Amino acid sequence: MVLKLYGHTHSTCTARVAAVLTEYKVPFELVIVDLFKGEHKSPEYLAFQPFGQLPYINDDGLIIYESRAISRYIAAKYRSNVSSAWLPLPEDIAKTAKFEQAVNTEAFKFDAFASTAAFELFWKPGGPDAEYAKKLLENLNASLDAYEVILSKQKYLAGDELTLADIFHLPYANLLHNAKHINLEDEKRPNVARWWKELSTLPSWLAVKDGVKSPA
Amino acid sequence: MAIQIYGIPLSVAVRRALVVFKELEVPYDLVTVDIIKGEQKSDKALKNQPFGKIPYLHDSDNDLTLFESRAIARYIVGKYDKSGKSGLLPTDEVDAARFEQAVSIEVTAFNPPANGVANELVFKPVLYKKETDQAKLVEALASLNDTLNVYETILSKQKYLAGEYLTLADLFHLPLGTVLTDMAKLNVLTTDKRPSVQRWWKDISSRPSWLVVKADTTPLVFTTE
Repeated sequence: MVLKLYGHTHSTCTARVAAVLTEYKVPFELVIVDLFKGEHKSPEYLAFQPFGQLPYINDDGLIIYESRAISRYIAAKYRSNVSSAWLPLPEDIAKTAKFEQAVNTEAFKFDAFASTAAFELFWKPGGPDAEYAKKLLENLNASLDAYEVILSKQKYLAGDELTLADIFHLPYANLLHNAKHINLEDEKRPNVARWWKELSTLPSWLAVKDGVKSPA
Repeated sequence: MAIQIYGIPLSVAVRRALVVFKELEVPYDLVTVDIIKGEQKSDKALKNQPFGKIPYLHDSDNDLTLFESRAIARYIVGKYDKSGKSGLLPTDEVDAARFEQAVSIEVTAFNPPANGVANELVFKPVLYKKETDQAKLVEALASLNDTLNVYETILSKQKYLAGEYLTLADLFHLPLGTVLTDMAKLNVLTTDKRPSVQRWWKDISSRPSWLVVKADTTPLVFTTE
């Protein structure tokens, strides 16, 4: 049975998972959840994803939600599909530690501000609270200043290899950068710019960034 | 000792790491960072933790420096429980997926509103002498209750957040959960209206490892030398 990805064409978190599925050459079927009709809050949907959010996967009966959890599952299960894994081997304790440090950094120092800012600026009913959005972006920029320091010493967030920790940034980084709410190409942060340039042009991201669809 | 943890005993994030040390009976030295003086933002500290936060760890066995409490917790389990006997960090493909799902939920659905409530009711008044923003409190509390209502559904079907066994995903809730219950005196985790959450919270918050960590309330006052 082909893996089913329940999500939406333009959902940030669906794109996060789709990029990983693409990189790991895992065939999948995108099943569109009708957000506008509130399908994600229907009892049928909540039975699988009790928080009423997108996406979740059904991998031959195994249901997993939370895009980063799904991504880790795919990267572990299909490790042999790629030559450069985006997930360190658990036996490599030091690399794994640095990877987890980077994944948590993305969660608390980037996503916490970026996803909240994105909601505030693009999707909040009634429009953004300008002061609040400004504060979130200030915090995000402060984090990026720390990223500049980290990335001046190593190529990627977890070390010198690209990992899921970098990939996880893509959907919200892309959204906010393209709408010019943050500048990831700011020459005052040359290492962040270098990192972003590579990340944003990865083939597996380019394949999904303008809309997720079931691969042919 | 091989491992030094830089932080203070009362810090939520420091405690999140320490409970795991206690679970596995791994010794450590807690090295005080004078956060009143802003020591965490000193050049020396920033070299170890570029975001200027606590905790961070140094392991002299392999000269490893590590920050982010959840990364530290995972590292300790990986290093000191290689057999996986504790069950705290599952490695089986399916168990691991369910574990990562549970960890992600703690990060995205519990931590933000719990922190929002704790900030308004405890951190702002007690630490920063600032007034509670009632609107923010109401919003955070609503969001927290929404999350805990879903927790009730999940925990009515399984014993812990990742399945039938205790994992790090459950333990990660302890420090902020305790601030809400013990310091803010809220019943969000103990209310009879959510009997499965009540059962789960009682279970995890009475673990000896947590009781030991919780008992260290060395206050945020430092003598200058």
